[in-house]
Amino acid sequence: MKAPNWVQDVFDRYLICEFTSIDDGKPVTFPLLFFYDNDPPKFAVTSSILFSRKIEHMKKNPKVSLLFSNPEGSGIEKHVVLVQGVAKCDDSDLDHGWERYLPRWRKKEPYIDGFLSAREQFAWFWKRIVVEIEPKKILAWKNGDTSNPAEAINL
Amino acid sequence: MTTLGLIDPDRLALFTYSIVTWIDKDGFPFSVATDFILSENGEILLKKPSVPATMTGRRVGVLFNHITGIPTGGYTDRRYMLVWGTVSEDKGFLKLRPEEVSEWDEKILPFDKLCAAAVPQGKRYLESIQPSIDA
Repeated sequence: MKAPNWVQDVFDRYLICEFTSIDDGKPVTFPLLFFYDNDPPKFAVTSSILFSRKIEHMKKNPKVSLLFSNPEGSGIEKHVVLVQGVAKCDDSDLDHGWERYLPRWRKKEPYIDGFLSAREQFAWFWKRIVVEIEPKKILAWKNGDTSNPAEAINL
Repeated sequence: MTTLGLIDPDRLALFTYSIVTWIDKDGFPFSVATDFILSENGEILLKKPSVPATMTGRRVGVLFNHITGIPTGGYTDRRYMLVWGTVSEDKGFLKLRPEEVSEWDEKILPFDKLCAAAVPQGKRYLESIQPSIDA
């Protein structure tokens, strides 16, 4: 992906995105922790079965979007980036499939080990579906000024 | 309360910006961040963003979200309000007409209690992916 450094920084440093799935034509947006791979560009989120309505939405309609608009806790200045893509849900290993993201999750939320140590208490929170998103289109607003036209990013 | 009595303006005023989302012509969700103000009449007015698509006349979801970064890493003070409705042009702004709201504030409903309340959804999901067993 040929993205400016400030867009790469957003993907590398932001803690959360605002993730939208579609429920029978209705957009449903929630803040979610995300993970990013650069080569090839791919995004991932995980979802507990407790909060799995968005998974049900994606199984019916895999078109999703991720907006990156909140730099809080990232240490970088605000930019806004929209990623539209196609989601693939994997619930074949609810207990361990998501664990490959744990090192990056721990980097974003160092206190996650405290929740992990109480895994039995929060057993269903740790039954998690992995969602991988293949980006199809990216638009970016430098400095977060969405009153100006967005810059299209080549994938 | 504001329009339709759905939204507590005091809670809404705790957020600093909004995220407007609608379904674009290509079928993908389109989201954009923009500032908002609360009018004296309790109306939610969104600053018009520059987007290559139109949201007026469509059903939109408007997310107001907050986190506070923790200096040692991660974040806390999670709260959001998600408002569905329609938007129309109004004096240079986009006026949101709320129809439905979903919200969570971890200071009001702690995360462990949120998880407990979500158990029926977890059970439903597990049942949906497990093959039925005929005894």
